[in-house]
Amino acid sequence: MDTGTAYGLRLGQPLNELAQVGPGTPYGEVLRRYWHPVAKVEDATTRPVSLRVLGEELVLFRTRRGRAGLLHPRCIHRGASLFYGGVEDEGIRCCYHGWVFDTEGHCLEQPCEPDLGLHRDRVRQPWYPVEEQYGLIWAYMGPPEKKPVLPRYDTLEDLAADEQLIVNDQGVGGGGPAQLDFNWLQHWENVMDPFHVPILHARFSGNQFTPEMALIPEVSYEYTPLGVRSIQMRELGDGRQLRRVTEVIFPNLRVVASPKLASGQTNMIGWVVPMDDTNFRIFTVARDSDPDFLAKLRSTHEGKPWKELTDLEHQRLPGDYEAQKSQGSISLHSEDHLTTTDQGIAMIRRMMAKQHRAVAAGGDPVGVSFDESDRLVRIEGGNYFEGAPDAPLLADAVDD
Amino acid sequence: MRRCSPTRWTTDVAKYTARPPRGDRPVLVLGISDVVVIEGEPAVPVSMHHLSAWGRWVRDVAIPDAAAQRLHELAEHFDIVWASEWGHNAHTAFREPLELPEEPWPFLPVQFDKLAHIRRYAGGLPWVWVDDPLVDLSGEPPECEDGIVVRVDPAEGILSLDVDDLLTKTRELVERRAKEDGENA
Repeated sequence: MDTGTAYGLRLGQPLNELAQVGPGTPYGEVLRRYWHPVAKVEDATTRPVSLRVLGEELVLFRTRRGRAGLLHPRCIHRGASLFYGGVEDEGIRCCYHGWVFDTEGHCLEQPCEPDLGLHRDRVRQPWYPVEEQYGLIWAYMGPPEKKPVLPRYDTLEDLAADEQLIVNDQGVGGGGPAQLDFNWLQHWENVMDPFHVPILHARFSGNQFTPEMALIPEVSYEYTPLGVRSIQMRELGDGRQLRRVTEVIFPNLRVVASPKLASGQTNMIGWVVPMDDTNFRIFTVARDSDPDFLAKLRSTHEGKPWKELTDLEHQRLPGDYEAQKSQGSISLHSEDHLTTTDQGIAMIRRMMAKQHRAVAAGGDPVGVSFDESDRLVRIEGGNYFEGAPDAPLLADAVDD
Repeated sequence: MRRCSPTRWTTDVAKYTARPPRGDRPVLVLGISDVVVIEGEPAVPVSMHHLSAWGRWVRDVAIPDAAAQRLHELAEHFDIVWASEWGHNAHTAFREPLELPEEPWPFLPVQFDKLAHIRRYAGGLPWVWVDDPLVDLSGEPPECEDGIVVRVDPAEGILSLDVDDLLTKTRELVERRAKEDGENA
């Protein structure tokens, strides 16, 4: 008799407590305790743009005096969308009856009302605080009394004279389109899965990165005060070792050095920002002298960029997008068969569960700081060649 | 307490069949993180151990010094099965620091939502599930009548387990199950 057939198969469920991002969901509330990049600075203009972040619809604009604003789009008067509003010196005017709101939702004017609105100071358009840093608009969407300071990152500080910050919202590291159409966690936890690299990115895709990355590494995992880190050792066969350090920093930062093996501390980091439960974007900031550094980093499949692949080539040369998207719009995590190579995944999920528990109990998740003097986050990820006379050593590169 | 959801009893999930229990003793299902490994600040003496999973990866973990002895006590009364995110690495990685037998104990490769797996594995046998509170993503451990669910103090891990109390409750469970089986026969 045949055994193990698919007859009667009943599929499992996602770990919604970790995957979902909407208001009131367990990890959605964790995410709301941190600042998130939501757009590039240049995207905030006098033409309003619609954004969807953490399952919430928002409208982003910049007043004619230069202040960025992020408001709930449904006008509190009668519900017309501020997407169709007109931006003025101090705020945005609703197209329907002309109510004007500033970047903090204060109603400045109700033109059809007596005296421009006798009670306009009693109403408030829901808004979120924003800041601008590293060429990005950052939003804090959590409880106001818990608003932390906006972190800075050492790898993006103290640029050399020939360096500049390069900002990209086109899905660097996602291996697919700019807007990725599946649950964000499938991408983020992939960062702690170094074992897929020699399989997916070498055996299947052809060597997408470098020959060294095709070697199966020996990995050590560790929890850090801010997340999870893996250190991947590869013997290169010429007396050198490659020590590649990859990190996730809560709640959604990916620290993945160039897979093309530029040496030293990584010069780029990226935030995996959920739009909703089944869509996300990746905001990446790099420092480099070449303004096209991030664009050039995009991997190719037998020399072709992802968006030019035919259906057959997508199937024959799958990459991160094909693997992660095919896990499902939201992966059925309870179906996962956790084994040796999944230790990093398990550690991320466990640390996520801890943050959910901490926030639910009224505490703070890891990494949030309310102290201006404690804003700087140290990044340790990178590629460190050891055993070669002129290669940078890990100890030198990350030594305090 | 969260009541067990009947739908979770019957959900057919893992496409994996663990080695079955011996069948003549209750089953003790053990988590690992914050059970035999202490991840946070320990409240009991611990030692650091460098564990390897066949050289694929390594981790340094803190294990309570008295954990091995506690496991030996429990193994006298139960068939022990690991249910954890450590998968098949559980027994081999911890064999030396926990002085485990050469023959690996069975394992269930699950991190959260373990109840359906445990029930399927135990079959009709009485079972006890000892784990860290974090595995209950809902925040509350399930309240079950067909088994015993115990949550340890994460700072003490398995050393916070009251073995005498557990053995008493297990005897009561065995007797109750035997009586129910007799009534249903």
